[in-house]
Amino acid sequence: MAQQDLVTLTIEGVEVSVPKGTMIIEAAKQAGIIIPHYCYHPGLPIAGVCRMCLVEVEGAPKLAIACATDVADGLIVNVFNDDALAARRSVLEFLLINHPLDCPICDQAGECELQDYVFQEGRSGTRYEDYAKRFSPVEDFGGDVLYVPNRCILCTRCVRFMDDVAQEDVLNVSERGDRAFIGIHPDKDLGHEWAGNVVDLCPVGSLISKDFLHKARVWELDKTPSVCTGCSQGCNINVDTRENVVVRLRPRVNLEVNRYFMCDTGRLHYRWMNRGDRIEAPLVSQGGDLTATDWDHALAEAAQLVRGSGGRAIALVSANASNEALFLTKQLLADLEVTAAFRVPRVEGEVPLVGVPGLALREERAANAAGAEALGYKEDFDGALRAANGASLVVVVDDDLNGVSEEQLSGAANLIYLGTLLPDVARRASVVLPIANVVEEDGTLTNRDRRVQRYLQAKAAPGMARPAWWVLSELVRELGRGEVCASAAEVFAALADAEEPFHGMSYDNLGFAGRAMAAAGMSV
Amino acid sequence: MAITVKTMKRPDHEVSYLRAALKGMALTFSHLMRPSVTMQYPEQKSTDTWEISPRWRGTHRMLTDEQGRSKCVACGLCPQVCPANCIKLVPGEDEEGNRYPLIYEIDEFRCVFCGYCQEVCPEEAIHVGVHYENAEYSRDRFVYDLERLCAQTHAVSTLWDPADPKGQ
Repeated sequence: MAQQDLVTLTIEGVEVSVPKGTMIIEAAKQAGIIIPHYCYHPGLPIAGVCRMCLVEVEGAPKLAIACATDVADGLIVNVFNDDALAARRSVLEFLLINHPLDCPICDQAGECELQDYVFQEGRSGTRYEDYAKRFSPVEDFGGDVLYVPNRCILCTRCVRFMDDVAQEDVLNVSERGDRAFIGIHPDKDLGHEWAGNVVDLCPVGSLISKDFLHKARVWELDKTPSVCTGCSQGCNINVDTRENVVVRLRPRVNLEVNRYFMCDTGRLHYRWMNRGDRIEAPLVSQGGDLTATDWDHALAEAAQLVRGSGGRAIALVSANASNEALFLTKQLLADLEVTAAFRVPRVEGEVPLVGVPGLALREERAANAAGAEALGYKEDFDGALRAANGASLVVVVDDDLNGVSEEQLSGAANLIYLGTLLPDVARRASVVLPIANVVEEDGTLTNRDRRVQRYLQAKAAPGMARPAWWVLSELVRELGRGEVCASAAEVFAALADAEEPFHGMSYDNLGFAGRAMAAAGMSV
Repeated sequence: MAITVKTMKRPDHEVSYLRAALKGMALTFSHLMRPSVTMQYPEQKSTDTWEISPRWRGTHRMLTDEQGRSKCVACGLCPQVCPANCIKLVPGEDEEGNRYPLIYEIDEFRCVFCGYCQEVCPEEAIHVGVHYENAEYSRDRFVYDLERLCAQTHAVSTLWDPADPKGQ
């Protein structure tokens, strides 16, 4: 930003310089002050209907709404002086005339902005004791959304999201005055792929998720930054777990990728993470039967197989496996003539979020196809499967072998299977090594725009299952081809050294927003 | 070395045990004349001068509404506030769409009877009871489920009120 475009103003005694055209509410964030607000959301057009962000601008005749007031040079803004506080206290009092006090049974309780602001600066009691609150029954808005009209504070975030971001006119504000409510188009519902975002946008518990209904109280949840594996878009998410069970996925802000949103397919793409039928111990084939054993034995067996193999080897990897796992698989088979392939499940029809260019539910339903490609894997699963006939070794990493028949693998001398579940085809493997799934390990994924993004461990892996990078780095060490890696960060450091597209990247400089491959190496 | 025996020279009134014994008996008999302070527990549970405190925090009781259903809405505040982590709660939804506890269990062995659950309950559903007779034949009977908590009939604790510290 050029210098002349900056204006300097004072907010609560803190001087900040922001670009011209910024609203006071955004400038205040830079001063470290969150001005209470309901209708304002950085991802939506400004409405200025809730009147919650009233602040005093010195010299102005009356209080101004911070979300729709441009900054100007020399402006002095008071957020917490008596006038502004009194005005906001009154706004909260008006909202609470009709808002029910059903926080104990409301799913939003704990992350409710009405709760927060009333606690922060609201009145302690009501002056409307004898007033019967308005009552309307709960309405099913379709999709994953329930509407509880009693709790609605008419901030219209949901209406603006559907109109301006999803660009499907489904919701409106019906009626007027104190009878107003959020109305839905008589012939449409919130079945839109991106409609689930209205639940996140709703500052109160008026729009709630049917999937999450009564499942947990939000203060019991542990939140872990992660990346959605639903498609190749790579939306940033938070994985919410409760007692080692994933209970919901929510979007995490990344202005470069998904902004504030995620699709419903991704949102509900978590049940498989909690599956109970996992492989829990390393298995070694003994006389045709797989027998549970310990890691030392299983790793020694697997290393022996790799060492004893000569000639052609096949690597069949999942396009959801982390960059780290893919890199180490390559290293493991470095001495052999390798055909390395992955496959990407495809679902016809991309579903874009119209208001956010570059954001869509993609046809390629795999999270790391670009990473696999950058690491030299080919999207030629069937070709690799044909080549398996007569190969000395087949290594499968995290692929579920869905649709692969026993005959296709029977031509290979040996099979090492790294996976979370044990499909029947994999039972003929010599060694089966249980690995963690995406929420049980640290790692990185590369999205379709070649952006490398980190994800963190959100829950513990079942039984003896270990992250794929750990298993593979132990194998690589067993073969004497590399140092032992103590963490995913060390694997990634080795990967960044060895692979050109990843040069200059590290867990530290990826941060939580990730970096695009092309841009890497320039600033380091 | 010759053994020397030291002979105590006591005053006459200390030479015999008789005087001390009679004195002791006199005290014993005098108690027969005084008012009794022994409470005949378990036949008797209170006396004119002693009563269990209304602020006593004993085993729990769940209050019910007019239809006999528990007042609990499964908000999850009591398991959250419980310092002993003795409350297990699984919320569910009934036919009318109301939130209610599918499972509500209190492990009375783990409970430290702090009364926080009663204090935090927004529905005035769970209470600690003015109750102390909890003997059972097996340990597992000390995990009280919802049905048992609702079936309790003893008085509930009034807890300590900071605005009225002496309970007047």
